[in-house]
Parts: sequence; C-alpha cells; structure tokens
Amino acid sequence: MFAQLIQDPAKINYVENPAKPPEIDAWGQLPKLASTFDHVDGLFYFTYIVCIFFFVVILGALLFSVVKYRRKTWDQPAASNVTHNTPLEVVWTIVPLIIVMIMFAWGFKGCMDMTVVPEAASRNTYKATAKQWNWTFTYPNHATPSFNEVWIEVNKPVQFLCESTDVLHAFFIPVMRVKRDIVPGRFQSVWFHPIEIGEFHLFCAEYCGDDHSRMYAKVHVVSAEEFATAPWDKWDDTTPALAAKSGESLYKNLCQTCHSVNGTPAVGPTWKGLFTKQGDTFVGRQREVIEGGAKKTITVDEAYITESVRKPDQKKVAESPYDKNNMTAFPDLDERRIKGLIEYMKSLAAAQ
Amino acid sequence: MSTNVPVIDAHPTISEPPKNYLNCSRGFMSWAGTLDHKRIGIMYLIGVSAAFLAGGVFALLVRLHLWEPHGMLFTNETYNQIFTLHGAFMVFIFVIPAIPGSLGNMVLPLMLGAKDVALPRLNLLSFYLWCGGTLLATLAIVLGGFDTGWTFYAPYSLYTDQAVVSIGLGIFLLGFSSIFTGLNFIVTTHKLRAPGLTWFRMPLFVWAIYATAILQVLATPVLGITVLLVAFERLYNIGIFDPRLGGDPVLFEHFFWFYSHPAVYIMVLPAFGIISELVTVHSRKPLFGYKLMAFSALAIAIISFLVWGHHMFTSGQSTFAMFAFSFLTFFVAIPTAIKEFSWVATIWKGSIALNSPMLYTLAFLIIFAIGGLTGVILGALNVDLHLHDTYFVVAHFHYVMMGSIALAFFAGLHHWWPKMFGIMYDETLAKIACALIFIGFNATFIPQFIMGSQGMPRRYATYVPEFEGYHHASTIGAVILGSGVALMVYYLLASLLIRKPAMQNQWGGVTLDWLTPTPPPLENFATPPSVTTEVYDYSTLDYESLRTPVR
Repeated sequence: MFAQLIQDPAKINYVENPAKPPEIDAWGQLPKLASTFDHVDGLFYFTYIVCIFFFVVILGALLFSVVKYRRKTWDQPAASNVTHNTPLEVVWTIVPLIIVMIMFAWGFKGCMDMTVVPEAASRNTYKATAKQWNWTFTYPNHATPSFNEVWIEVNKPVQFLCESTDVLHAFFIPVMRVKRDIVPGRFQSVWFHPIEIGEFHLFCAEYCGDDHSRMYAKVHVVSAEEFATAPWDKWDDTTPALAAKSGESLYKNLCQTCHSVNGTPAVGPTWKGLFTKQGDTFVGRQREVIEGGAKKTITVDEAYITESVRKPDQKKVAESPYDKNNMTAFPDLDERRIKGLIEYMKSLAAAQ
Repeated sequence: MSTNVPVIDAHPTISEPPKNYLNCSRGFMSWAGTLDHKRIGIMYLIGVSAAFLAGGVFALLVRLHLWEPHGMLFTNETYNQIFTLHGAFMVFIFVIPAIPGSLGNMVLPLMLGAKDVALPRLNLLSFYLWCGGTLLATLAIVLGGFDTGWTFYAPYSLYTDQAVVSIGLGIFLLGFSSIFTGLNFIVTTHKLRAPGLTWFRMPLFVWAIYATAILQVLATPVLGITVLLVAFERLYNIGIFDPRLGGDPVLFEHFFWFYSHPAVYIMVLPAFGIISELVTVHSRKPLFGYKLMAFSALAIAIISFLVWGHHMFTSGQSTFAMFAFSFLTFFVAIPTAIKEFSWVATIWKGSIALNSPMLYTLAFLIIFAIGGLTGVILGALNVDLHLHDTYFVVAHFHYVMMGSIALAFFAGLHHWWPKMFGIMYDETLAKIACALIFIGFNATFIPQFIMGSQGMPRRYATYVPEFEGYHHASTIGAVILGSGVALMVYYLLASLLIRKPAMQNQWGGVTLDWLTPTPPPLENFATPPSVTTEVYDYSTLDYESLRTPVR
C-alpha cells in the first residue's frame, strides 16, 4: 500500500528543461518584460512602501513601550490611565481610509487597462486549450498547433483566448503579470505586450489534480524574422531515425507526464514493449482492450495508436488502473507527428 | 513579573482543598455527559489541540517533500492529499472551533458572571457534533483520502475518484456544531449578564465572541448547503456545478466564499478578543478606545459578508463585481487598523509584564501587522491579478491563520491555564518556546512572500529549480516552528504532573473571570456577582489576590 504513496525515485517528476529563471531586481521582484507590468508594479511598490512605513511605526511604538514601560516591581501600576483620545482615533481612522481609497482607485484603473483587450491585441489572437495536464496553442493564420510551448512575436500585443476541456485551470505568465482562471464551458481572454526577447515560464495557477505542478509551458518571445519561419512547425521526418528523434522530443513535451518508456507504472500504460523487433520488421504486441464494454484482444499497430491518440476512449487497455483513467484526446495532432511518435516507439524496441 | 512576587501562604493549615469544577465529581461519565461549560471547554481544548497537532504533522510532511524541486517523498497524488488534509484539518477542525469552543466556553460565562451558558445541553450537543464531523473527516482518510484542496473547487471535486462525500458530510456536521455554539453564545450574552454588567461594561473578549457568533449563525448554513450540493452532484449528477451537465463552476466559488470569507473573521475575531484582554491585563492599563474597539468588531462582522468576491478576481467575474468587491475589501482594512493601533496605544505608558502570555501577545501584534498589511497589497485589483494563487497568498493567510490566530490561541491558553487548572507551567520553557515559534514562523513564511511575488504558484508538488533556495529556508523554518510547538506541548503536559500552584489571580485581571476562586467552583460564583465599576478599571485591583496561592 505504501509503495503507492511514496515516490518512485526513478520516476522523473519534474518539468524537464524549463525556461531559464528570470533575473530578479533589488526589491526581489521580477524584471519588466511586458508593457502591462507598469500597471501592476507601480501600485505594488506604492503599497509595499506604505506597508513598510506602517509596519515600522507599529513595531517602533511597540518596542519603545516594552523597553520604556517594562514592569519593574510586581505591584507597579500603569504610568497612565488614559482610556481614549478622540482626535487621535479620528486621525487613525481617516488617514488609512484616504490611503486605501487611493490604492483602490489606482488598482481599479490598472485592472481595467489589463483586462480590456486593445484592438491591436485582438487582431493577434491565439487559442490556448488547457487539459489535465498540458497546453495546446493554436496560432492566428497558421494551421499547425504546438504543445506545451508557444512562440510569440516581440513588440506585438497578443491576446490568448483560453478554454478548458475538463476542470479549472489558470493561465499565468509571471513576467508578463497576467493571470486568468480558465473555466470549462467559457472562453476567457488575457492580453499582454511583450517587449523583450527570451524564454519564459507559463504555469497553471489553479489546482487541477495530480500533475497540476507539471502543467507547464515554455513561452518563446522571438523577433519578427524568426517568428516568420514558424519555429513550432519544424518537423524533420526525412528518415525514420530523424522522425523517431522528432517523436522523442514531442514525447518529452507532451506524453511523458502520463506514459513511461521504461516500464514504470504511471497514470497511463507504459510504452515499453509496444513493438518488438523481429529481423528487420517491427511487430506490435497483443493487447487486451475494452471496446464498447466488451473485452477483446487486438494487435498494436499504427491504426490502433492513431485512434488512441485522437479518440483514446474508443479502446481502453483492460488492465487496472488504465481501464478507469481517462486520457485527454488530441484530435489536432497531425498524421506526421503521430507517425513520429510511432517511429519513436519502434526505436525503443530497437534499442533493446 | 510573577517570579518577583513574594509568596505569602494565607492558609498554612493543611485541609481538604475546596471543591471546584475539576474535583467535584469523578468518572468517565461525569465528563462525557457533563453540562458544565468549563468541562465542555476542556474537552474541546483536548480535541482541537489533537487536530492542531495532526494538521501540524501534515504541514511538516508538505514542507519536507518540497525540499527538492522534483519533490522528495511522495507521489504527486499523495502530496495533493496531504496538503488537502493539512488545510481541511486546520481550517474546519482546528481554527474555526478552537477559540470559541475551548476558551470561549471556558471564559465567556465567567466574564458575564453567569452560572453556565444559556443552553447547556445544546452546548454538549455541539461538542459531539464536532466529534462526529472529525470522525467522518478521519474516515475519509481511511477510505482513500481526498485531494481537492480544502476549497473543494468544482468541477475537480466532482470528478476525482476519492472520498469527497465523506469529508463533505463531516464538514456539514462541523458546520452545525459551529452554528449551535454561536446560537448559544448569542443567547448567553443577551440573557445572562450579571446585574450592572451593561453592554459597554462587557470585556472585549465577550464582544468579539458575540460578533463571531452572529457570523457563525448567519454564514455557516451556506457552507452546509454547498457541501450537500456537491455530495448530491457526485451521487446523483444533478448538474448545478458541473459544466458537462450545464452547471456553473463559478457558482460554487460564490457559494463557497460567501461562507468562507466570513469564516476568516469567525476565526480571527475571537483572536482579536483574546489579544484585547491580554494587552490590558499585562499592561495593567484600560483598553485604549474601548467603544471604537467594540464597534470595529461589529463593523468587521458586517463588512465581511460583502467581500467574498475578492477571492475570485481572476475568475472572470464582471467588471462591476470586481469594482464593488475591491472597494468593500479596502473598507475591512479600517476597523482592523483601528484595532492594531488601539492595542499598541494600550501598551503605551502601561506597566508591561514580559511574561509568556504577553510575549505571545507581542508576537501576535508584530505578525498580525504583517498579515494585515499584506492583505491590503492583495486587495488592490491589478496587483492581485499577479499575486493570486501564488505563495504570496499562502504566506499572507498563514500570517493571519497560523501566525495570528494560533498565536492568539496559545496566548489565551497560557493566560487562562492557571485559571483553568490552578497550576502554573514552567515560565522559562514557555518563553523559549515562544521565541522558537516566532522565529520559526517568520523563517517559514517570509521566503514564501518573496517566492510568491516572483511567481511560484501554490499547491505545487514539484517546482522549477530557481525556487529551491527559498523552499530550503522555508522548510528549515517549519522545523524550528515545529520544535517550538513540541516544547509547548511538553511543558503544558508536564505542568499537570508537577502541579506547581498558581496564584488566585495570576496576572492581576479585574474582569469577573478573575474574581471567582481559582479554579472556579461548579457553578462559577458562590453568590451572584454584580458589577458597579467600568470595565478594565485597575484602581480596583486587589493586589493581595496576586500572591495568594491556589490551594
């Protein structure tokens, strides 16, 4: 029983190859990498300073009193028996009221600027689909989507229309100061204006189940020239070996969260032993599946794998816990990429 | 300081110790079936302390797991269950009932000059409902655990294959326990005040418990309905929150926070009450701005019903809702600031005794200042868009829940311990424990503020490597904090064996709770007391009672 509770050290349990950490300023804060940050950071520093001021005042008064008015003999009465002071009480009611009203007005103004999508951003609209536990990005005017990685052009305002196909998620890019919960059944929009080239974190910020912490995407902010080459649409499958290599990187990006290649049990069945090598040909293994409630045995082949990627519930592996666990469907994954994954599965057999 | 008090034994002859509520009857049933508010208070104290220690162990497991970026100990699923257990045990089983259930039950009737609470049988029932709820929550662990977070956000809580129904029903029972306690205290405060004890002569602890009770009675039913709807939704697919059936998950958030925001004040108002009592007694000076303090407790209670939307600034609610909720949220800052300023002004020019209850109080005043001020930062709309659901929020609410409320509970426990049992704990160890808790607490949560503002999301079983250093600091802090709490448990339990007698009026309080014999007799007062002086009038203090030991 405990084996299921305690982590298997062999299981890679973190995000592989995340973006480099952003540089941190003297205040311990993130750098300014989007034009939207001014709305947040100006007020953040203002509230920060106000809070530090009040904290120092309170702490100072407290420590001064404790040192000066410490009880020296057990029956010492207080130095003063004052019960109230109306002018003082009015002052410490009114002054904080004025300060927090400034914070409120400033915050609301900034919030409106951050949530009302400008015309330029709405002409550059991406779609972000969040599922347990991965991200799919679809680009404006480009048919090929990308998974757990997204490329955007620098100095060009961008809008993301976010949707979820299962539970709550949240779209959070810390350096851009944007966050939006993604509610299933609705489109939620966020926009920002990246001003510096680089690679940044995109986290899921709303708890969404087992692998919430591994629901990570890398944001590439690139120059207009590089963007024009559509870096996400590079897929080298000129030879089976190169296709397997492309497949491997897609596996690491997308499939590794739930499927191991070394036989370690995970959310989904392992890919180890799907194919075996006999001479020069690869033979798929026999597998018990449930289709339409009935058990049957099939041979693993390209058609089965393609179907399992696009409609995973069609044939479920008849083995606990895989008969219960649901896989997210990837209907957008094109033929070439599925071929690449299959080449990768075959290369696993070849390596043995 | 108490150690400087020359002890005069007023009763040198050895005789039977006087009958009090502890020794008046014996046997299991005399406790399990008791209607005495003090015994019920002690049973609550044992229960909530056990829940706190369990929640604390879960917290330490969470912190140890996060020592390494890929998680050191558990699978992600187990980690999610453990942080959920930590949250659910601490919030529903410890913090909400802790102060009203234990210290409120113990002290409120004493402060009012009453024989007992108005409805003693209901009081016992609410304790057993607490036991039932805790049992169901523990059963949920045995049934496979639950991994929804203490907030039970739909639709994940509807889809996960774990024991959500059992914990839901547990929370339903705990809710009724809370409602009954609140009802009881409202009636008691209205009906059982001693002659001469007018509303503005009541100690502020009574005001705080009274304001809390109003919240408990009005807000908790919404939580009960919400968890029942989640249970029905799981069992019968009725489609209220499930988007696949046409439901709305954001509706769940509204329902949940309509209770759980006032619940924050259900938790924190009694803590305010304790601190108000302790600053005046240990400074031997009337509470500064008494009336404004009483009104600000009520103001907090009322405004807290109107700010729940600030938990949902990123959920896509309408702009008008964001406007209104942010505006109202800032208003809570005002009565809260008044309280903090008034406590500091009470200490000013007082006669400040640096004994352990006062040290816990001073620690509270510092930590609550940070907890409250960071709340102001989070109230600003656009800043919240960045900080929401990060470790900044985690650190902020731990500064309020653990740093302020639990510390106020410890302060109150040390303050009324001699009253409850007539014995004193080891003051030196108490001061060391207080220092360990204060240092450990800040070491745990200050790194979390920094991580949060740099974008570390909450509820993460694994994290990107740049946060590793902050997580190390936080885990070391948690171990220091844990050792402080362990030391506290040790010397409090040891004091029950060593039985060093306390003084009749250990700290020199002038409210009615210190004017009965220590420990109090079964029905509190030999003759019904009447009140002729204003509250916290230290000119009436009988210094002789400070050096008369308990027999």
